[in-house]
Amino acid sequence: MIELVAITHAAAPPPPARLRAIPVGGLLAVVAPATEEEATAESLWRREELVEELMADCDLLPVRYGTRFADDEDAAQAVAARHATLAAALDHVRGAVEVSVRVIGAEPRATHAALSELARDAVERPVQPPQVLRGAYLVDRDMVDAFAARVAQLQAAQPGSQILCTGPWPPYSFSDRP
Amino acid sequence: MRDKVLHAPPDIDLFATEQPRLENALSRRIGADPENVERGLAQLVLTIVELLRELMERQALRRIDAGGLSDQQVERLGTTFMELDKRMEQLRAEFGLNPEDLNIDLGPLGRLL
Repeated sequence: MIELVAITHAAAPPPPARLRAIPVGGLLAVVAPATEEEATAESLWRREELVEELMADCDLLPVRYGTRFADDEDAAQAVAARHATLAAALDHVRGAVEVSVRVIGAEPRATHAALSELARDAVERPVQPPQVLRGAYLVDRDMVDAFAARVAQLQAAQPGSQILCTGPWPPYSFSDRP
Repeated sequence: MRDKVLHAPPDIDLFATEQPRLENALSRRIGADPENVERGLAQLVLTIVELLRELMERQALRRIDAGGLSDQQVERLGTTFMELDKRMEQLRAEFGLNPEDLNIDLGPLGRLL
């Protein structure tokens, strides 16, 4: 049993130890041996660190935690079946990372618009009060600092507002958007 | 916590409400490994039965409030729901489930029941 961790371009450098790359027509399916461990906050963080380590050297599409296949052939088949979609999605996130923003007590529409200007793509997530905006932004790697500066600016401009900005993350919210 | 904060608001604790929800969502997952699959399935089925039971009960109460039922009908409804409640309790006990186990976390939509 193996677990699919991420999809990268075939030109990506070899993955860190514990991971293997299976070539599938111009893409690489990066897999790890499946473990029996329970899904906990800790195990999710371990997975996150693994994906981030991989992300440091190449662009990738993170795969949903717990995506498992019987063997290499199975995994390759699954990736081949969605090859065009995955290749397009990978092109879309090339050179970019995901940055997450949560907002309390500011004008959500204007804030989202101002942040989207610095992003290649953006999606809004459902919010729970008191939050008024929860957005994911696909930001060029060299624009992350400018993005964080814009967040600080927006908060300063709206007294009483609270804006939390985290990242850089693997492009979780943009993996299925060609 | 890993340092992933690019910009911190003045009061970061305001955002801490999501952590318990995440822990809850993880613990409320249906266990699908071979030993647990029966209990997991029972949990899922009983959750749906419990949801239907509560909906029926609410609908019945509404009709009683509206005054369209005879005393005899109200009496029969009451007995039926008491019996249902007792039976659910037995079924839960059989699979070692607490009432709380049937209250599945729907993420942003909140709890089911």
